[in-house]
Amino acid sequence: MGKDAARPEWDNPMQFVLACVSYAVGLGNVWRFPYLCQMHGGGGFLIPYMLMLVLLGVPLFYMELAIGQKMRLGSIGAWRAISPYLGGVGLASVVTSMYLCLYYNVINAWSFWYLFHSFQSVLPWAECPVNSNLTSPVEECERATPTQYFFYRETLDISGSIEENGGIHMGQALCLLLAWIIVYLFIVKGVKSTGKVVYFTATFPYLVLIIYLIRGVTLHGAINGMKYMFTPKMEQLANPTTWINAATQIFFSLGLGFGSLIAFASYNQYNNNFEKQAIIVSMVNSSTSIFASIVTFSIYGFKATFNYESCLERVRLLLLNTFDLAEDTISLENVNHWIAELNRTHPDQFASLGGRLETCDLEAELDTAVEGTGLAFIVYSEAIKNMPVSQLWSVLYFIMLLLLGMGSMLGNVIAVITPLSDLKFISRYMSTKTLNGLVCLFCLLLGLGFTTRSGNYWFTMFNDYGATFSLLFIVLIEVITVCYIYGIKRFEKDVEDMLGHRLNWYWKIMLAGVSPILLIALFIFYIVNYIQGGTPTYQAWNKELGKSVVTEYPPYAQAFIGLLLASSVCCIPLSTLYTYCKKRNLASGKRERTVSTVSA
Amino acid sequence: MLVWILFLLCQVGAPALAQDLCQRDAPNGYKVRISLKTALGEDAYEWNQSEIFFFRATMAFAMRRHFQIETYNVDNIILCVQTSRVSFWFVVTSPDNATMLIPKAEVEKAVRISRHRINNAFLLSDRTLEFLGIHPTLAVPVNPDTPPWLIVFGVVIGAVCAGIIALLVSSLLQKRRKEKGMTEDGQDEEDMQVKGVENGINLDGTYNRGFTDNDRFTKL
Repeated sequence: MGKDAARPEWDNPMQFVLACVSYAVGLGNVWRFPYLCQMHGGGGFLIPYMLMLVLLGVPLFYMELAIGQKMRLGSIGAWRAISPYLGGVGLASVVTSMYLCLYYNVINAWSFWYLFHSFQSVLPWAECPVNSNLTSPVEECERATPTQYFFYRETLDISGSIEENGGIHMGQALCLLLAWIIVYLFIVKGVKSTGKVVYFTATFPYLVLIIYLIRGVTLHGAINGMKYMFTPKMEQLANPTTWINAATQIFFSLGLGFGSLIAFASYNQYNNNFEKQAIIVSMVNSSTSIFASIVTFSIYGFKATFNYESCLERVRLLLLNTFDLAEDTISLENVNHWIAELNRTHPDQFASLGGRLETCDLEAELDTAVEGTGLAFIVYSEAIKNMPVSQLWSVLYFIMLLLLGMGSMLGNVIAVITPLSDLKFISRYMSTKTLNGLVCLFCLLLGLGFTTRSGNYWFTMFNDYGATFSLLFIVLIEVITVCYIYGIKRFEKDVEDMLGHRLNWYWKIMLAGVSPILLIALFIFYIVNYIQGGTPTYQAWNKELGKSVVTEYPPYAQAFIGLLLASSVCCIPLSTLYTYCKKRNLASGKRERTVSTVSA
Repeated sequence: MLVWILFLLCQVGAPALAQDLCQRDAPNGYKVRISLKTALGEDAYEWNQSEIFFFRATMAFAMRRHFQIETYNVDNIILCVQTSRVSFWFVVTSPDNATMLIPKAEVEKAVRISRHRINNAFLLSDRTLEFLGIHPTLAVPVNPDTPPWLIVFGVVIGAVCAGIIALLVSSLLQKRRKEKGMTEDGQDEEDMQVKGVENGINLDGTYNRGFTDNDRFTKL
């Protein structure tokens, strides 16, 4: 089979499955799914989630694996082979993956930072540092919480807005360097090294999750969180946003459209049974999301109960001190009873308390749903610092975050490298090791921009706009190409060739009918939402107030957002145009030559 | 006789005078709040007259230590407005003149100097034995020369770089060994990677994508 036999392969199908699991199971399972679950009615959210998995997730996953395994090339080569006019789809995937590579590793850098800072007797985010006079804690820390202060001031050294630039945070830069060196170590020998690494990156996070599950459910107050999450609020199912968020979550969680799945599958044996594997990986991904949300909510419950009881304790002390009652008259249970009592018996003195009397509400504490980096680095670290032996739990937690992030990074980087190494003019001049090193170096240098003082705002911009809209467009074009331009019949024959049996009616209906319709619906929703949303805004950290304020993006930042979206999406029409022009020139050139031979 | 009447008056008047000196929100007094149950739980002792005496003696000690004179006595510390919270106000009178109060600033200095001794006398801490208005000095933060995170970072990055170098060197050595092996044998017969080797000539073909290997599915 000529030069294809020289293509590296996974040592066994298990490596491929673990690589896909490691890629799909990422940070989104831990910090996005629990948030969505909470927002959209707890246990009831599982219904739209599972439905979207069956209608949208699994068929598209199957399609990408089939393409990669059949064409045995990265995304650019594969799509060019499917349809020469639509090679731009592969190019768009590579561009989007490149954006993802640039900013995703910054999260790993933060995980490293927190991990290294966990090796101290007192966790640095547990207490406020004192100011220079040693009189009281630092002001900014007093107004916010110690965990927020550690994240925004000591980790990021964040500026007040995206316009205020600053120098590079050396600690962050070092951690980013380490993250990229480790990525290079994992991919230096191509699939051979990646295949061995994924045994660890795919399985170890589950070990940590199980340990955390046991720790989480035994924490005081965990039951409050789990009850809150799992109580289904069925009325949320009537809300269209629930269904759209379920579809979006499935879509992004599986990592469709980046070209990573095509790249992974291109290293498969030709007759590998990817159908079974597609179903297994999708199921594993979803179950991990549910599992992780159980852990998250038990920890939420612990944190909320802890804060609630601290609040009650503060109120109790306030009452004792103001009314000079003996210490054991008011206990945590009868605080509220005493508030009513004292209001009745000593109204003037009670009124003098004024604003100092806090209302303690467990529901309100549980309602503070957070997602994204805020959940992972602020809320979780706050919960961890209150656990006994907090250093151990902190280390375990950040190692888990690192493994999840690194596993996804592997997929992202391979999605960029595989198509590049397939291009003839690159593979002729460079070995894979050099190419890998250059790509890592390039991403590291550009990624340093995210370690500056305003870097987190650029990070958020990339996170929100870099890969969301373009991916929907890419996958939509992919499905339409495979089903209607390439033809579902040809696709069926290819699959039969690889697997030995014909496409099931389920796959045919989903791929040709249901999934494109759902994708178009999602696409339209995104456009409408974007137009209706007005000027895009972001959360800027205000150090005087000690909290985030909603700020609008300046005009040049909005232009950059437009550029981000356009640069990946435009690859498709531009490449179609280019191919069309080239073919026309080629055709006209041939005609000229034929004419000249005849005349000569 | 007159002296005797004056003496009697002083005995009666002194407590009354003391009451005037010590009152709630006295300009030169401090409020003290003690939280025994929070600090000691089950082992909390009872706050009774003897404990109050002990407190007055401790404060007299603090004043002696601050002014470096030994004239302060238990009588110079006057307590009032005692509640069941266990909180009370106290003022300090001068040993030379029982009607004169020691200014607030001096009392604060005295308390600050002997704070540790006072806390330990009662088995309490800065948080459970509070002098309202006198803030405890916070502990000096420990600033090591090399931040500990940098040490862990150095270890990890050293290990990773060593791993990369080991991998690169080993693959380089492997390649050199294979090249040496090939030049010695002339033809590497064990290299099955390049199929299409016939009669010692490499056939440089391209893969025909239209070719499908259907033989396996044909039922013969």
